[in-house]
Amino acid sequence: MTSAWVLAFVWLAMAVAPSTSERVQRLGERLKCMCGCNQILTQCNHVGCTVSARMLRELNERVGRNESDDLTLQSFVQEYGPEVAIVPKTRGFDLTAWAMPGVALATGIVLVLWVLSRWRRGPAAVEVGAVQERHLAQARRETED
Amino acid sequence: MNLIGSYALLLALLTAVYAFVGGIAGLRTRNPLLLSSARRAALALFPLVSLAVGALLYGFVRDDFSLAYVVEHSSRDLPLPYKLAALWSGQEGSLLFWSWLLTAYLFAVLWVNRGRHPELMPYVGTIVAGVSMFFLLLNNFAAQPFGLLAQPMASGGLQILRPAEGRGLNPLLQYPEMVGHPPLLYLGYTGFTIPFAFALAALLARYPGEKWIHLTRRWVMLAWAFLTAGILGGAHWAYAVLGWGGYWAWDPVENASLMPWLTGTAFLHSVMMQEKRGMLRVWNVWLIFASFLLSVFGTFLTRSGVVSSVHAFAQSSIGTWFVVFIVLVLAICTWAFVRNRDYLHSDHRLDSLLSRESSFLFNNLILLAAAFAVLWGTLFPVISEAVQGTKISVGPPFFNRINVPIGLFLLFLTGVGPLLAWRRTSWSSLKKSFGWPVLGALVAGAAAWEAGFRALYSLMCLMLAAFVTLTIAGEFYRGARVIRGRTQMSFLSALGTLAWRNTRRYGGYIVHFGIVLIFIGLSGAAFNQDRQDDLPPGSKMQIGPYTLVAQTLTSEPGPNYTAEQATIEVFRNGRSTLMLYPARRFYTASQVTETMVAIYSTLRHDLYVVYAGRNPETNQPVIHAYLNPLVKWIWLGGVVVLLGTILAMLPGAGPTWMKPAGTGGAAAAAALTPAGTAR
Repeated sequence: MTSAWVLAFVWLAMAVAPSTSERVQRLGERLKCMCGCNQILTQCNHVGCTVSARMLRELNERVGRNESDDLTLQSFVQEYGPEVAIVPKTRGFDLTAWAMPGVALATGIVLVLWVLSRWRRGPAAVEVGAVQERHLAQARRETED
Repeated sequence: MNLIGSYALLLALLTAVYAFVGGIAGLRTRNPLLLSSARRAALALFPLVSLAVGALLYGFVRDDFSLAYVVEHSSRDLPLPYKLAALWSGQEGSLLFWSWLLTAYLFAVLWVNRGRHPELMPYVGTIVAGVSMFFLLLNNFAAQPFGLLAQPMASGGLQILRPAEGRGLNPLLQYPEMVGHPPLLYLGYTGFTIPFAFALAALLARYPGEKWIHLTRRWVMLAWAFLTAGILGGAHWAYAVLGWGGYWAWDPVENASLMPWLTGTAFLHSVMMQEKRGMLRVWNVWLIFASFLLSVFGTFLTRSGVVSSVHAFAQSSIGTWFVVFIVLVLAICTWAFVRNRDYLHSDHRLDSLLSRESSFLFNNLILLAAAFAVLWGTLFPVISEAVQGTKISVGPPFFNRINVPIGLFLLFLTGVGPLLAWRRTSWSSLKKSFGWPVLGALVAGAAAWEAGFRALYSLMCLMLAAFVTLTIAGEFYRGARVIRGRTQMSFLSALGTLAWRNTRRYGGYIVHFGIVLIFIGLSGAAFNQDRQDDLPPGSKMQIGPYTLVAQTLTSEPGPNYTAEQATIEVFRNGRSTLMLYPARRFYTASQVTETMVAIYSTLRHDLYVVYAGRNPETNQPVIHAYLNPLVKWIWLGGVVVLLGTILAMLPGAGPTWMKPAGTGGAAAAAALTPAGTAR
């Protein structure tokens, strides 16, 4: 019975966990080839690039040893410098990289809503009895598009 | 010829200085003679810079290797079209090309408006001459295209060198699209100078009302269309040439082109608020200032070496020039705004939150948020270095995570906006307009789910694409039905009449449809597959529904290269479908090897095959195959966007198809016929 549970657990873990190649692909997309071509590690097609081949081999080995994502990325940063990671961290100053676009958008939304509410409180339209050319011209402009 | 080119550039600079300074003096003293001579000086810039461009092209065609620029970017065996395209392949030539396009725009805008808008045009001419002056300063002092190759002699003088052969054009640029893509992009960048000049001129001259908006509408659309074509052309070049299977890498150079495009798109929408309702005057002026400044800022990014890029120009001191120019322009714009801001007072009044005005505001907000996110991500490595002392990298995962949701919301607004009426939209009309599109989106979502589209963003994208398409189709259908009812013409003719009647509105819808197609294409990226294997002749590789069978590996001579070419027979369902010929070329002059991708493109997917060279361990040819779904939709969408833009730029016929006599409806229509078009 226990072995059945163990088998079921292993099967479940295998089904849920990403395969080695998927992990290599995913992590490789968060690293940059350091040969100077500036391409993503898994996409480097720089002719004769030995650096990406070495980095990919290293990544494969680390994923093969089942190191955590954080440890793998950190070891690359230590070996190649902070420029190797192309996804900013979610802590420290790097967090501002992620936060600022959201803050800017949220500020923008608040501003737009404030502007709209101010405009809604604007002076009421003047009622006119007779249709005048000026109003007709405005109606034309507003109904054209 | 190099002397002619050098003197032409120097004379052009002096002429630009005169056009600028003389223009300012003429405007201050209101001296018509001075203004007239400044205008003529501005007109003379184009022929002068053309002479310089002609001289450099002559140097390329005649293999004049005394010119350093020709040595760096050409060789005797380079085919003629690439010798001409080499003009913009390096820093010095591309800046000369920039000046040429800018002066061509200046010539065109002064010529088209000759004798018209006497209060505004002297300002426009002076401003564009000022911008031209900056680029001509660069051409003359910071990035000289007519520099000679020389070495110091023992006697103390300089000996002019004339090598027998040049170093050749960068092989990545030896591709037909590189003949077209940079000029289109530059036409877009430089094109924003014209609406910028009109906006600043209107502000300085306190030119009445919305007139500058009407005067610049086509110039903005022209610049936007060129920028769109340039961006898509660049994406296609990256896809077809670079061989990594993608078309957009969020590289700083790509981002530099996207930022003014986003602000320019926002401007194209928000000007309608000013035209129709007299709103957003301040906003529009700053949007076009921002578009122009971002165009220049993008150029600064790619040429200063501030950020690392796959295809930036070499690091140089030219960045300082750009920083000074940008700061100066920003200061002038701010000064003009502070001084004359009362002229921009808008009569803001909103009747309902559920109105087109609100949707345009949100559309602008989202477009600017996207532009800011791109700018922030591009500059973050520099900011990080300044703050933390360490330069980090920001790559595609960051940009995708931030911009994909923004893009989807924008797609949603693309569908919603046109269905909202100016001033106020009732809930009942909203339900009526949105019923079918919402239902269509749900059906499309279910169908996509069944077809295996299980990635969240891709699924949402397809649903929104169906929603927007149906809203656009509904607009065309309703309009054409009314015309058919009144004129008894066929439905197709009614559609044509409808589009022709209001080219701006229906051209805009076609542009939106093109954007939908592009989004559909982008959604396929979530399902890309790739496979790389040794593939010696006779062996097979399977990817998706295709079986790739290697036939031969041959060596083929080219005009200025030697190619190693693989012949791959592609089978589908056991039947031979086509032959593909991926290759690697070794360019003799530059001693560089590049890949030549073979692509079999269908609406469903692209089979993208790269010959990646020989495996150093086995010495067997390596084939890297990709199956990229829906990519063709991106290029089709680009064509549709451009067709829509062309239609929107044409003058509309107005509602003259309506018969003025008789029934109340027709009479009402006749009453609404613009005075200028009434029969």
